[in-house]
Amino acid sequence: MTATKHGLLAATAGLCVAALLGVAAARADSTGVTQSEIKIGAIGPLSGPIYMWGKLAMNGVEAVFAEVNAQGGIHGRKLVLVREDDDCKPERAIGAIKKLAYDHKVFAVVGGACSNATLAVRPELEAAKIPMVVNSAVADGITNPVAANIFTTQLTASVESRAQLQFAMERGAKNIAIVAQHDAWGMARYTPLLEAFKAKGITPVADEEIQAEPNDATAQILRIKGKGADSIILVTYPKAGAILVRDALKLGFKPLWVGQTAINDMDVFQKQVGLPGALDNFFTITATRYQPTDPEMAEWSKRIKALFPGDELSVFNLNGIGSAQVMVEALKNAGKDLTREAFLQAMGKIKNFKTDVYPGPITCNAPTSHQCNQSPAWIQIQDGKPTVIGVTTLN
Amino acid sequence: MRRLLSPRNLIFALFVTLAVVPFLANKYYVFIANLVLLYMILAVGLNLLIGYAGQLAFANAAMFGIGAYGAGLLQAHFGVPYWLALPSGALIAMVSGTVMALPALRLSGIYLALVTLAFAQFTLWVMSHWDTVTFGAGGFSPPRIDFGPLPLTQPNGMYLLSWLAAAGLIWFAWNAMGSRIGRAFVAMRDGEIAAQALGIDLLRYKALAFALSGFYAGTAGALYGGVLGFVGPEGFDLLQMVLHKAAVVMGGLGSIMGSIIGAVILVVLLEVIREFKATMEIAFGGLLLAFVLFQPRGIVDLLRRKLGWDERLHYKAGPDQTAPSEPTPAATRKPAE
Repeated sequence: MTATKHGLLAATAGLCVAALLGVAAARADSTGVTQSEIKIGAIGPLSGPIYMWGKLAMNGVEAVFAEVNAQGGIHGRKLVLVREDDDCKPERAIGAIKKLAYDHKVFAVVGGACSNATLAVRPELEAAKIPMVVNSAVADGITNPVAANIFTTQLTASVESRAQLQFAMERGAKNIAIVAQHDAWGMARYTPLLEAFKAKGITPVADEEIQAEPNDATAQILRIKGKGADSIILVTYPKAGAILVRDALKLGFKPLWVGQTAINDMDVFQKQVGLPGALDNFFTITATRYQPTDPEMAEWSKRIKALFPGDELSVFNLNGIGSAQVMVEALKNAGKDLTREAFLQAMGKIKNFKTDVYPGPITCNAPTSHQCNQSPAWIQIQDGKPTVIGVTTLN
Repeated sequence: MRRLLSPRNLIFALFVTLAVVPFLANKYYVFIANLVLLYMILAVGLNLLIGYAGQLAFANAAMFGIGAYGAGLLQAHFGVPYWLALPSGALIAMVSGTVMALPALRLSGIYLALVTLAFAQFTLWVMSHWDTVTFGAGGFSPPRIDFGPLPLTQPNGMYLLSWLAAAGLIWFAWNAMGSRIGRAFVAMRDGEIAAQALGIDLLRYKALAFALSGFYAGTAGALYGGVLGFVGPEGFDLLQMVLHKAAVVMGGLGSIMGSIIGAVILVVLLEVIREFKATMEIAFGGLLLAFVLFQPRGIVDLLRRKLGWDERLHYKAGPDQTAPSEPTPAATRKPAE
């Protein structure tokens, strides 16, 4: 009798476990995954003035996927990239994410170039439970507070802002000025920069605003010079930065310039400034360890040229390459029975992963932080060539 | 057959189709259909102002933004429930629109366009820079909208609200333009001095045109914030204004049906262009150019000639109905003295 009872209990328990496993299996989400492929979506601007952060980053992702596919894919599955244009606008970005989620039915998304557009899609991504790896947008709000399914491999605005101030102080700056764009992009960096100043107990000697596409910056430079600044932290796009540097030199003002990742294509920036010696004291953050012309990037340069004839490897490609390598690593670690849950777990467990491009290792400290890149590097023009001069470890 | 394809029947069929979209389509298509509804409200509102009342204004995107910010900020700062924030946002935009009528009393044509454009840029600047109130250039997410006790998710609830608003506002515009208001608008458009001679109070009717247009744009804006779940300044810039104008131009100036057709085409076109990656500017610009050159009175004029549509107070072509380059009354009208 007892044996029968035990048998019944065991059978019931077994059935319950089987049922639970069944429910768990039913809940496991493998949308976008077939026996032969994994469909990954990408969003970002494909045209317009800042297409580089979208289209070129996607080209970098495509180059990594092509390389992985040439080697047999991930657990036998080829990676397929589906691109959607978000036009850098919240409305278009939400449409793009909905299209990727419900029409293309992708497994995960990579990209996100513009802060406000990427911020706007966060609720939709969370509702659709699609994993996303951000590779260009920098606003902290995209990944802070932590969203279970959103990671970033780009340096965030607060990391860069703290690094800019720390770098200026390490170089002996005493009177630091700020010039910032007060648009969505600029404010995402400007606000944490002011917080970093506050945390260090210092006040900027001058705080000037500039438009993204100015024709002249004489007024700003004269005011900053008048306040006795010895260094300028730039929160501007390259065009505004180039005009500031040019006008400062014109007025005989040679402060320490501290840029950020928007001005990380120093070859192009040098041409935009167009004055010899103007960048002698100009340093800027790069999210990548190498410049496109460095010999270490020769292989990637070849791959980009092969896939996109006529294109030259750029730093924007490198952003895409880094993020795609992290994504591929997590896809491999997620195992053969690929689900979104397994992929997110694998992303969260990435520790000290070295990519071909990022200055430091990538570590995602889930669930505390999904901001996986904490290593800004610095570049300067030396002998006419952009050169990486070091990596900042934030205090 | 022509009777079957009358404007009223087509509007009815369109709204029936839009009503069943949430039951048949995935969330992406529901979102696109929702945008169609919002752009219909925007285009109809703008057409009342420029197509019927003849006021060349460029502040529609700003009014759209004022509605979105008004409703969103009332929710975010004061915890106002959405059912109250939505009409409040629309009313704030309507009041702003009425204020815009003041310069319109002394200005017309290009001068009015410049003043309204300056107002739009000023509004955008306030949205981007008044950080403590508008959350600055980074925008903000209004609180989630709860449709309880109705069994509706936020996207479906917003869709239903948009559908009801679009149906109600189009019905109102259709009837208003067939009434004394519409006749006064058209008289004002065709000649302000003649309109005054007929006893039309210009101040009253210009204020009414701007107020109505502001209310339509504000309603669309307040709904837009709820549909996107995000409000940021870049959604209300000059490009947004161009989209509104494009919907009106493609559909047909001075035609409610034209606005509806223009809005549908615009939203669908923007999504179709998405398929042709990175060609948006070329395709969109080319299409607008084609309309301006070959079909300046919009699609509705073509349909009027082919299907015999006759919308009340719609611009009528002259004796030679096939001449596409014939200037519209608004284009030939001299600026007010």
